[in-house]
Amino acid sequence: MRRHPPTLRALLLPGAVVLGVLALPWLPADSRIYYMQELTMGFLYAGLAQSYDLVGGLLGYINLGHIVFFGLGAYTTGILFNLGVPLIGGLAASILVAGAFAALISIPFFRLRGAYFSLATFALVKLMEHVTDNLRDLTGGSSGLKILAGNRVLPMYYVTLALLAAAMATSWAVGRSRLGLGMKSIREDEGVARDFGVPTTRIKAQALVISTVLPAALGGLFTWYINFINPGEVFGLKLALQPVAMAMLGGSGLVIGPLIGTAFLYGLEELIWTRFEFLQGAMLGLVVVLVGLFMPGGIARLKGVERALERLGLKEDDS
Amino acid sequence: MDLQAILQLVINGVLGGAVYSLAALGLALIFGVSGVLNLAHGEFLMLGGFFAFLGYDRLGINPFVLVFIVPPVFFVLGYAFERVMIRPLALRKEHVRLASATLVTLGAALIFEDVAAFASLGTEFDKSIGYFIGSLTVGTLVLPSLKLIMFGLVVLLMAQLAWFLKYTYVGLAVQAVTQSRRGAQLSGVNVAAINGIAFGLGTFLAAAAGALEVIHSSVNPLVGLPLTLKYLCIIVMGGLGSFAGVTLGGMIIGLSESIVGYFTPAWGQTVAYLLLVGILLIRPKGLLGR
Repeated sequence: MRRHPPTLRALLLPGAVVLGVLALPWLPADSRIYYMQELTMGFLYAGLAQSYDLVGGLLGYINLGHIVFFGLGAYTTGILFNLGVPLIGGLAASILVAGAFAALISIPFFRLRGAYFSLATFALVKLMEHVTDNLRDLTGGSSGLKILAGNRVLPMYYVTLALLAAAMATSWAVGRSRLGLGMKSIREDEGVARDFGVPTTRIKAQALVISTVLPAALGGLFTWYINFINPGEVFGLKLALQPVAMAMLGGSGLVIGPLIGTAFLYGLEELIWTRFEFLQGAMLGLVVVLVGLFMPGGIARLKGVERALERLGLKEDDS
Repeated sequence: MDLQAILQLVINGVLGGAVYSLAALGLALIFGVSGVLNLAHGEFLMLGGFFAFLGYDRLGINPFVLVFIVPPVFFVLGYAFERVMIRPLALRKEHVRLASATLVTLGAALIFEDVAAFASLGTEFDKSIGYFIGSLTVGTLVLPSLKLIMFGLVVLLMAQLAWFLKYTYVGLAVQAVTQSRRGAQLSGVNVAAINGIAFGLGTFLAAAAGALEVIHSSVNPLVGLPLTLKYLCIIVMGGLGSFAGVTLGGMIIGLSESIVGYFTPAWGQTVAYLLLVGILLIRPKGLLGR
């Protein structure tokens, strides 16, 4: 399909949004801190959804244990930070730990196909929660891990934003690469791909390792920002399922999908929590059900949304 | 450690494992037939427990009788759930269908959890039937008769299920669809109807487990998702598609939780997940999977 360059007028709105997000910390309104904090968490979720979708969307393996790498990063950075290692060192160690862990588990876990894989990765979340809970000396157990507090709202805002942009760039680049082609062929039919000489085992391991870099870094930053973590939070089942739901809601397999899904679900959540007193979870659940039933490809593949994306020059080849 | 303590641990483990197996069999049945990971399965257990509690608390019905009254209601609920939520997804591409089904059942789980929590505002959070029967004494051993009766009920339900799957047309059709969807369809099995029946049966078993759970421990609105996860572990461990494997998996988890939990309480809950990962390393298709 031929791509048309976006018109200047069409770029006005998204351009304004990007400028507004960049300029937010310097606006003279007092409420900016509140919005910065909200948006920081939004960027974090979007980054998790985006990196999940490398494996979930391009490779077609629904990894319900994506949050494990976030939790590993959170604890690695937290523990090292308390030992006096600076943040950058902690984040680097987090990425290494998560990557090594991913490489290690990719061998047994990717022997499982389809739903088996989802089941086993989901169990991994609970396993990690229990293990961190029980390794009291290292992690502080269920009473959590504290680090020295500080006001980190401003740097966190820009760092998470930059990481989100990097995640989207990674998804875009991987999607167009040889590796991405291999991943898509595995998604469509793994048996055929292998018979045609696609090195499926290596590609799956590579995809998983790449997908862990961002959650590990975000996990470390999360500890640094929040100052306190506990196993039930960073390895929580709701936190595990949220990025997956966001990616699927927005449009799994598209670069823009997870971002749209996060904006939609996170925005909706905020709206529901501030407007209604009861049954917020049920309303959220209802929306998730309706999307699952009536929007098989997610929001980004709806006709109207596709047209809007096309005007912005953001429509992707969906293959 | 004396004989009495060992016996207690084994009885607790076997009973816990039997209740796990019962609900996990339901989940395995649903997965086997429809290929859907039903993330709302644990919620049906929770609701089954709630209904049993209400039946005992408000209507004064004997809890063991409720184990037979509540599940049929849930058969209808499960059938309706499949009809409304799962059947519309049937014609989608494989990985799209898996994703849609994950969303739909996850959303449903959130709804059930929140509505149950809302409905129990102002009442006790943990629902439990404080049922008591005197213990049996055999020689020097004290046997908890309540647990023995419950175990008997689980065995009865499982025997019924085994009979149903082996000797009725619908049961054989369920097995056929589990083995090969297309093959069953070609032989004239109404696959759509069997899907609905499998969901109904699976939900039936979850509700039965829930009704048993409120008798010997308790149920609260938040147990759903963690329990679903545990059942998923059990069926993967035992081998998807193998009902004997699921029973074995449930027993392994129940016994290991009971025995490890006695020595180190903190690791009792962890051991299930460690075992799962360990078993998958050796046998990627589970203990008895093909």
